[in-house]
Amino acid sequence: MSTNKPMPVPTEISAPFWEGLKAGRVSIPRCNSCGHWIFYPRRHCDKCWSHDVAWHDVSGEGSLYTYTLTRIPTLPDFADEMPQALAVVELDEGVRINTTLIGLAEDEIRVGMRLKPVFERVRDDGTTLLRFTGIDKTIDLSPADEVAAEPAPAAPSVTKVPVSDEAAMRALVSETFTAWSNEVVVDQALIDEFARLSGDDYWIHTDPDKARKMGPFGGTIAHGALVQVLQSRMKIPLGFEVTGFTNMVNYGSDRLRFPSPVPAGARIQARARVKSVEKMKSGTQLILEVHTHVVGAERPSVINDLVILYM
Amino acid sequence: MGLKGNAAIVGAAQYRPEKYQTAPRMFHLEQVADLASRALADAGLQADDIDGLVINGPQFHEASVFVPAMAAEYLGLNLNFAEVVDLGGCTSVAMVWRAAMAIEMGLCQAVLCVLPARMAPMGPDEDPAWMARAMRFGGHSTAFGAPEAEFDLPYGHMGQNTGYAMIAQRYAAQYGYDPLAMAKIAVDQRSNALANPEAMFFGKPLSAEEVLASKMVADPLHVLEIVMPVAGGAAVIVASKELAAKARHRGALIKGFGEHLSFKSPTYAADMTRTPIGPAAARAFAMAGIKPADVDAAQIYDCYTITVLLTLEDAGFAPKGEGMRWVREHDLTWRGNFPMNTHGGQLSFGQAGSAGGMSQVIEAFTQISGRAGERQLKGCDTVFVSGTGGVMSEQGALILQGA
Repeated sequence: MSTNKPMPVPTEISAPFWEGLKAGRVSIPRCNSCGHWIFYPRRHCDKCWSHDVAWHDVSGEGSLYTYTLTRIPTLPDFADEMPQALAVVELDEGVRINTTLIGLAEDEIRVGMRLKPVFERVRDDGTTLLRFTGIDKTIDLSPADEVAAEPAPAAPSVTKVPVSDEAAMRALVSETFTAWSNEVVVDQALIDEFARLSGDDYWIHTDPDKARKMGPFGGTIAHGALVQVLQSRMKIPLGFEVTGFTNMVNYGSDRLRFPSPVPAGARIQARARVKSVEKMKSGTQLILEVHTHVVGAERPSVINDLVILYM
Repeated sequence: MGLKGNAAIVGAAQYRPEKYQTAPRMFHLEQVADLASRALADAGLQADDIDGLVINGPQFHEASVFVPAMAAEYLGLNLNFAEVVDLGGCTSVAMVWRAAMAIEMGLCQAVLCVLPARMAPMGPDEDPAWMARAMRFGGHSTAFGAPEAEFDLPYGHMGQNTGYAMIAQRYAAQYGYDPLAMAKIAVDQRSNALANPEAMFFGKPLSAEEVLASKMVADPLHVLEIVMPVAGGAAVIVASKELAAKARHRGALIKGFGEHLSFKSPTYAADMTRTPIGPAAARAFAMAGIKPADVDAAQIYDCYTITVLLTLEDAGFAPKGEGMRWVREHDLTWRGNFPMNTHGGQLSFGQAGSAGGMSQVIEAFTQISGRAGERQLKGCDTVFVSGTGGVMSEQGALILQGA
């Protein structure tokens, strides 16, 4: 998960709500004068203006008032949640809460459906968000999800193409991209390591606090060059293997672009297509157009037209 | 109750909508002066006739406080009435009735209502990241203690698209949904823009199939059901009946208005599909002493197609829950039986920030003063105008009538 996602900053007024979530409880204020339930938390009743209010634990169960599925992330940092299932949930006490649904397939979501709370710890400091799922669902939030090395996708059938077979080589050219590679997490530790190696320690990459306050992205972002070289960690299911050459040279890049940033903590993946195959004096030149994306993001973070020379 | 109809819009000016990248960059004060002089020329009045000013406070480039005094000084105005309006897309409508009220109360005789919405030149010490930072969360506050910073942003609830999408989903669950009827709103308005050379999408026809094939942004809203933000800016001059008599064009008398708001996030609305335009429009019609059926045209704030649909219903033009059928049964073009957003609406004209809503006010005045060219309605005397800010958070209505 991108570490640049906005996080709640509890106030003196709201702290009991957020503390409750950490303990797996939904706690909201209620007016002692008129009985009105209050959300978000306030020190007064937004119905009768009494200041005689008290916190109560509630079941957290309710129904779906409305929702939307986003097809473009509301912020690049939410690309890993695509489609975001943004929802308004009406608790049985009558208050409504802006939240997200998890653990539901798109076609399972219905306005009016019964929901129960899910307490998701999103920060090491214990910060917990209140999400919702179907009343009969079981959600496993054990933190094994994204850090665990993801098994590489099952190796696709690989066609061997002799470099001498010009027609077969040219037939590799395609408008269609391959399936996605495995995913790689670009966390702050990796970015810091690259900053040390490359000497590029500009604050937008290395100073999370300053980047959050002064940068345009809400936090640090990976170096474009880092995301580019991480290509080596991503196994792209090309579906072919060129054979019969004596030497294969990485001849550089015809085009290298960084169209969108990779926020610290994001997962990335890559896909590719063969853009061109050309017979040269020195051998056969293949251009592989590699696109690296933040998982779920439509816009690539790196476009690299990689030039490979088979001699 | 309310206005007697003794103040009128007598002059107007607006920049042609342009992409931000290609639009000229001007200081907001300079835009105010430029728009003011154009509107004054349109009215045929003198600078020293103007003794009232209504201006935007938020997003004013050269100052965040004392904006009216700075603008008065820059323009060389002596003001008996000064006001800042902070109602998002409802600002334009809200400016006009405040000006009319001040005139009817005898505070002043002619009020400049102005909304600069081109970008300002970047200063040598200004930080380009500031803009990106400000844009990151759209209209959502990130201030410590702002409820939306604490309870919306961490879940990804931000900007306008998803709020409107959730209203549409709720509507669909309650009343049903016809994507083709929603697309028709955008298509009919585009048809109007084809008769308006000033519109962003002039010369670019649009079909319902194209709307429905356009990218889904947040279910059920397609990208062609959502306004395009553009650079622009607008001004109108509201004057007393006495001054209006000396103006060059037929004035548009402000006969009725209404305004209603009670939340920022529609999540906290009593009923998300009964929008604030209901009470606002009811008050405006009652004040003017007319019914929805009496209007010759409606200029309805259209940040999204769903905004139009709900305004048609809640303002009383279409029965509640039957808006989609009603849209299918009506021709919303300038040639049709319910001329609506005859300039193309913001969907096809372009939305110049909070000046976007002024395009609807100005179109009403343009039609009433008989200067709408190819799209001119025959006998256009009475026009309904609406404004919508936030996510159906703050809405206002005007009834304008030819002098």
